[in-house]
Amino acid sequence: MIHLYGVVEELEALPPVAGVGAGPLERCRVEGLDLVVSREARDGGEVTQAALLSHANVVEELMARSGAVLPARFGHAFTDEQELAAAVRTKAAGLTRTLNLVRGCLEFGLRVLGGDIAAENGSGQLSGRDYMQARLAVERGRRRLARELHEPLAELSRASARFGGASSDLLQSAYLVPRRDADTFGDGVRRLEAAHPDLTIVCTGPWPPYTFAANGEADA
Amino acid sequence: MSISEQQSLKQQVTLLELVDRVLNKGVVVSGDITLSVAEVDLVYVGLRVLLSSVATLEEPRERISTAGAAR
Repeated sequence: MIHLYGVVEELEALPPVAGVGAGPLERCRVEGLDLVVSREARDGGEVTQAALLSHANVVEELMARSGAVLPARFGHAFTDEQELAAAVRTKAAGLTRTLNLVRGCLEFGLRVLGGDIAAENGSGQLSGRDYMQARLAVERGRRRLARELHEPLAELSRASARFGGASSDLLQSAYLVPRRDADTFGDGVRRLEAAHPDLTIVCTGPWPPYTFAANGEADA
Repeated sequence: MSISEQQSLKQQVTLLELVDRVLNKGVVVSGDITLSVAEVDLVYVGLRVLLSSVATLEEPRERISTAGAAR
């Protein structure tokens, strides 16, 4: 089985780390795209913490050594080179476009909790209509607050994504930020933290551009 | 919450964010992903619990600082 870590550009040499299941890293070229893979003796794709960390570690190492990396999602091993090549060939145009998008960029993740404004007025004597209107006002307030948090960060980014429509988090988002602007982005997050001490703002990163690699593929 | 507890919590949040990215994001070259949805949901549940506990742990500190200001 062949495990794919990602599509890379300008990778000088493979990092001195082992892949999932301790398989040595290899490179292969399909349609002018440079892929980093490793081979597994048995049926791969088993989800263990060690396997996930090993995949993530290889992607991090590639990030440190490449001009651009499209991280591959964990969860599919290819039977042989032919299957991998055929899959890459059908997506080559989209992969090239997404590589152009993420080149020179890092990803940051944001989760914001809080912003709950009490909908009820304490007495619990609201009519059904008033209750629904109060709920609507709260929901609008939360949406406005989420926008106020998201937009200044999106302006500092080459691309951004919001998700978690069904989640109770106030905001779940990801930002694709040029490396040279990472400090400015960090300042932006700190400004939001200072302006909203009542909210729990969790910023993670820098990550390889997992989120934007996936979005680009979906658009392709 | 002590500094080491905070760091441990941050590490756990980061680990779960990482797992979310590796399993749910990233480019899919083949259309066929073998991972089951149930496992992905567990990841989300774990993250929710953790982040809720961050929020809960923040609360007592806020109350303490408010009490301090009132004195």
